Amino acid sequence: MSDVPSGPGPRQAPATGSAAGPGVAEEQLRDVFDALATSIHGASDRYPAALADWRRRERRRRIVLAILAAVIFAVADIIGLWALSRADVNIHIIFDDRPGSSTDAPRGGIGPPP
Amino acid sequence: MTQQVSSRPLAPAADPAPAELGPAGEHLAGLAREAALARLFDANHTSLLRLAVLLGAEGEAEDIVSEAFYELYRRWHRLRSHDAALSYVRAVVCNLVRMRVRRLQVARRHAEQVIESVGSAEAEVLLRDDQRALVEAIKRLPARQREALVLRYWLDLRESEIAAAMGISAGAVKSHTSRGMATLTRLLEERR
Repeated sequence: MSDVPSGPGPRQAPATGSAAGPGVAEEQLRDVFDALATSIHGASDRYPAALADWRRRERRRRIVLAILAAVIFAVADIIGLWALSRADVNIHIIFDDRPGSSTDAPRGGIGPPP
Repeated sequence: MTQQVSSRPLAPAADPAPAELGPAGEHLAGLAREAALARLFDANHTSLLRLAVLLGAEGEAEDIVSEAFYELYRRWHRLRSHDAALSYVRAVVCNLVRMRVRRLQVARRHAEQVIESVGSAEAEVLLRDDQRALVEAIKRLPARQREALVLRYWLDLRESEIAAAMGISAGAVKSHTSRGMATLTRLLEERR
């Protein structure tokens, strides 16, 4: 246990005033935390495996995002094409120049041909 | 695993964004990120692992720390400064452990049997009776109070640092610390 690096460890920071009262001393708490912490050993040379894991997850995240964007784009396209294919060819949404379809005669003399 | 991580240390990076540098610049930025992360990982992995265990992660500590570093890896270019990296990882570890504790509390509420922690540090380390009683009391603390005490008395962080790690105000840190100590005292007195 003694060969384990103690990590950040206590720096003996000045206390901001004992909030403990007579029950739990701050030093007692520090001792318990230290005892627990020094019993925990991290695996050495863990970084290469962790980096490989991060790269794999990042690649997978980007692939999933790209697939999701492609699927949303394709679905929007399909819905648009389906809506257009269901529309009546005789009904023009923007320009309607069928005879008699004009309701009011333009006052300025400008408008669709009769 | 999805989680809400504290975004305080995150901001538009001081370094130029990789997208503005082109593919070669992006590659260099990636290498610089990995080198900085390697240093940070080697220097702090064990202490973050210990922090996670002290906060109550138990058997999931390794996964939580790994997840926290992955969040840092993913958001490296959004860090306000590279000095903020450690506080960011610490905040993510706190959040992930808190989420784990809440998840376990919900599971225990809905399950009949008590879920025992397996291979926890508390079970393995040799402690005196009074220390063991204190550990039991610490385990019964609310997650926020436990966080405040661990960050204050084990990591010896300043109140502003604890506030950043927990995502709360400095006043709330004082409140959690004070209540945590009072709760510990009460629990130990009840035991006597």
